[in-house]
Amino acid sequence: MTSAISESSITPFNPARMRRIVLEMAYAGSTVHIACAFSIIELLTVLYRHHLRYPGNDPRADGRDYLVLSKGHGVMAQYACMHELGWLDDSHIQSYFKDGSDLKGLSDSRVPGLEVTSGSLGHGFSVGVGIAFGLKRKGTDQKVYAIVGDGELNEGPIWEGALVASHHRLDNLMLIVDKNGFQAMGTTDDVLALGNLQAKFSSFDFETLEVDGHDEIAIDAAIRQLWVTGPNKPKALIARTVKGKGVSFMESINLWHYTRLNPQSFAEALGELGFTGASK
Amino acid sequence: MREDFSNALVRLALTDSKVLLLTGDHGYSLFDEFRKICPDQYINAGIAEQNMVGMAAGLARVGFRPFVYGLAAFIPIRTIEQIKLDIAHDALPVVLLGDGAGFVYSHLGTSHQSTEDIACTRAIPQLQVLSPADRFEMTAAMDYAYATNGPVYLRMGKADLGDVHTGPTSSLQPGRLLKIRDGRSDRPGLIATGSMLRVALDITTSFDLMLWSAPFLKPLDVDDVCAAAQATNGLVTLEEHSVLGGLGAAVTEITSEHQPTRVLRIGVPDRFSEHCGSHAYLLREHGLDIDSVRERIGAYCKLLSSNSIALA
Repeated sequence: MTSAISESSITPFNPARMRRIVLEMAYAGSTVHIACAFSIIELLTVLYRHHLRYPGNDPRADGRDYLVLSKGHGVMAQYACMHELGWLDDSHIQSYFKDGSDLKGLSDSRVPGLEVTSGSLGHGFSVGVGIAFGLKRKGTDQKVYAIVGDGELNEGPIWEGALVASHHRLDNLMLIVDKNGFQAMGTTDDVLALGNLQAKFSSFDFETLEVDGHDEIAIDAAIRQLWVTGPNKPKALIARTVKGKGVSFMESINLWHYTRLNPQSFAEALGELGFTGASK
Repeated sequence: MREDFSNALVRLALTDSKVLLLTGDHGYSLFDEFRKICPDQYINAGIAEQNMVGMAAGLARVGFRPFVYGLAAFIPIRTIEQIKLDIAHDALPVVLLGDGAGFVYSHLGTSHQSTEDIACTRAIPQLQVLSPADRFEMTAAMDYAYATNGPVYLRMGKADLGDVHTGPTSSLQPGRLLKIRDGRSDRPGLIATGSMLRVALDITTSFDLMLWSAPFLKPLDVDDVCAAAQATNGLVTLEEHSVLGGLGAAVTEITSEHQPTRVLRIGVPDRFSEHCGSHAYLLREHGLDIDSVRERIGAYCKLLSSNSIALA
């Protein structure tokens, strides 16, 4: 357990440290959606550490890559990474959800570093399609990553956008599905079964791979491979994830879509991540 | 009017290569010139309006100037949430073109008719709403929509009713009314928008009433509306749109607060069309044909003069 702490001091975007920040925000703000954030931690750490380019560390640099968090419910994970980049400071974390604070419970594009206003599902991906279309038209090498939840795939515009992305050969666009198997009211299998997602996106003429969404090395390798294979095709990375990953009593327990931390569960969760208390 | 729309679009696209036309598989012959002259700026996004509007937001985010075309029943109505969240929230420069507004698709029924689009769009922050009345206003509205560099809903109604203005209008100023004709100050004045201007012009001529065109539903200039109320004895609003939430609502929101005035709101009653028929037939069904409107305004004139209702 102590290894997480020592590693956290040297590795940028260390997943345990990112989860601690999510817990601190959720505890400070007495908010929900912890499990939604935990399932995409490693996807974000790999993207921010190895792939996303922000010239001058400017979240609004013209030449940046775009990370579109279509599943806005995971935004605390993105806040944690933005804190690591210095785009958010400790006061943002501690004042989360307080009256008058800037950071909302769902992604708001007015915050530098967040590209879309999401949370109403099935919006961000279409915006990402438009960004990718525009960047390709401009002839830049900028990339667009759009993270959607598997539950979000219930939304019709996702499939409209998938048709458009392949029709226009948007090979600068990568759709990343956070396949944690849950949506608000139950499992995706029980609510609206998605079937074989890799086959579905392949049939929409995406270059697709499925990966363990908590294995950073595997995620990194899959992203690199997708960018060099399937010329002229948009990419789809199906990431098998665990909702609530990292804290045993949250993992695949859908209540943690809605449950708030109390002092005891906060301390226990931090302990499981290898921390003896909050960072501040 | 449609030719002037097409010409304006082509002109803007030739001037600025960032202008892109997105259509949801509509506008079959309307875009012949555009496709011939600016083929690279034409995108048929398929019968997928929600994605198209989100995509337009993405294009605007990376510097393009999308004009998104659809029937008003779909753009804005089907895509109202994309307009709110993806475009208006960040004041992105996207022009939404809703064609066939009102009862243009009279024979096709409710799915293609649009009498709630102004009400829905007016309540979205940062979104301007325009409704040109003739080819001159259309050209000016297109120029304004491009120059304003923010989100605009441009409502295109029945387009073959002839001119209202005698020549090109000067450039549009945000929210300002355009005076069409002078008339008697002891009678009500008319404020009309879009396709109803032709009817309004005929009626105001026969009753010798003042008439203003409202090319903007939002913003709507408070001083202009108050001045119209002060210059006349009561107001009448006229629109091919629901009486709820459209021009009549916009005018009364202003007068009730700034210049208490009796206002007769003439528009589509709060109901769907019953029957199939021509545009003229459906206007009659909803009491918006020239005879029905003349009768209502005549009665209103009498009421105002006999009751001396004008509120100082």
